[in-house]
Amino acid sequence: KMSKTETPNFFYANETDCREVQIPNEIFFTIAMVSLGENLLVVVAVIRNKNLHSPMYCFICSLALFNTISSLSKTWENIMLVFTNTGHLNSRGDSVLKVDDVMDSLLCMSFIGSIFSFLAIAVDRYVTIFHALRYHNIMTMKRAKAILSAIWAFCGCTGVVMVVFFHNVAIMMCFIILFVFALVLILFLYVHMFLLARHHARKIASLPGSTKHHNLRGALTLTILFGVFIACWSPFFLHLLIIMVCPQNPYCECYRSLFQIHVILLMSHAVIDPAIYAFRSAELRSTFRKMFLYTWAQCVCV
Amino acid sequence: MRKKNYAAVVEDRRKIFLNFKESILEMSDFNHLNKSRSSGRGPEYVWEYEYYDDEEPVSFEGLKAHRYSVVIGFWVGLAVFVIFMFFVLTLLTKTGAPHQENLEACDKHPGLTSCVVDISHDQGSGSKVCSHSLMEESHSIFRCSINEEEQCEPVAGHQGYQGRLSVRTSSDVQGEPMGLRKDREANFLQHFNIPNFVNSEHSSVLGDDDLLLCEQPIIMDSETRCNSKLDIIS
Repeated sequence: KMSKTETPNFFYANETDCREVQIPNEIFFTIAMVSLGENLLVVVAVIRNKNLHSPMYCFICSLALFNTISSLSKTWENIMLVFTNTGHLNSRGDSVLKVDDVMDSLLCMSFIGSIFSFLAIAVDRYVTIFHALRYHNIMTMKRAKAILSAIWAFCGCTGVVMVVFFHNVAIMMCFIILFVFALVLILFLYVHMFLLARHHARKIASLPGSTKHHNLRGALTLTILFGVFIACWSPFFLHLLIIMVCPQNPYCECYRSLFQIHVILLMSHAVIDPAIYAFRSAELRSTFRKMFLYTWAQCVCV
Repeated sequence: MRKKNYAAVVEDRRKIFLNFKESILEMSDFNHLNKSRSSGRGPEYVWEYEYYDDEEPVSFEGLKAHRYSVVIGFWVGLAVFVIFMFFVLTLLTKTGAPHQENLEACDKHPGLTSCVVDISHDQGSGSKVCSHSLMEESHSIFRCSINEEEQCEPVAGHQGYQGRLSVRTSSDVQGEPMGLRKDREANFLQHFNIPNFVNSEHSSVLGDDDLLLCEQPIIMDSETRCNSKLDIIS
């Protein structure tokens, strides 16, 4: 449809049309590379450090893996686009289209996988807080692995289904409903945890001798966590909704002209994710430090 | 005809949405001349579609509001929602909680929440007695929840919080001297700090991690780390 709007722009040169906002390839590349580096680092650190073989870190590792896959497929698509631009690749060839489909399904898979990983992390934290004494019984490594396998299988199938049946409105509606459901559930879990924390904080504050000060840090962290998630993900999903709901509306058209910006936001979430989830952990940070020192020592010795 | 156009639009959208860059590519100079450009599925639709160039599906004539009003409205709405959420959470931090909430929690949550005891009646007494009674009350409640713990397999080296609890409560707390008790109580308060929203002196071991969810109780290799087991949200 964007080609459709671009054609009138070219022929009619109407100033009030919303031209599609173009983002140079270099920016896509940079963000994809940074995200790839960060998430790969997290995955390697979790795998190498035996202390981090616990359900919570497994979920964080799975999130980082999904982000890695999305960065990789985005980078691959960029490379193919560069080749197509320079004329080395026929953009209409069958094999190119097939490869395109594979990349799209990988992207879809990684997007859905990210959402499910967030959900898994939130549920894990919820169980840790509200069933702390029975946590080790509820969330064993076996169960965590089973949950992760189910998530990966489901996302793989969904990615393929979405790309094959993209024209089907029902599938897209399912995708959007899934996103909204996940959002609401994550919000509920975190707010409930926050309420308990506030409850405990008040109990502790009422003890004699303890410092009494209003700590806004919890509220701020929760707002950042949720705000970043919403700000990065919902423009893209609103785009999907708008494609289905109002394809002909000029206002919707102007919203859809910002498609590349929305994709950039989605990719930048993969960059911010490690900072919010993984790098908060002191154990993970110390693992990074050890890895860097080790690699640096190796380079120096060699 | 309208229906076919719409089908073509939807079909076109599919390719353009997922291959947005290719669609931009199509707009390069040497491509737009190629009228037989098609998605490879139903070329006849694309042909007819292109013959209806005069029927501009998206007309920008007579717009009442600014053309980016949907975009602006969306982002303003999002910002308002996030700020509203922040203020609500801040307000929750500042206002007091009804005590009934605690009583209900004792019934519904057999976990640690049940061990939060309302000690407001103790505030008149001295500090020693106050924390003393907190310890005892909490321990008595812990005894009921310890029965759950006895089924836990003790994971060596990953004992962390639960191991400590079972060790502490299984021993006879009553007969201990006062000094040991105060020491335990300090440790207990550290452990009791489930989500560390309050940055008290006891629980600032993982100083820079005390935001929301931090580490799990189980990944521990050092004694000091164990003290902030319940700083779960970083």
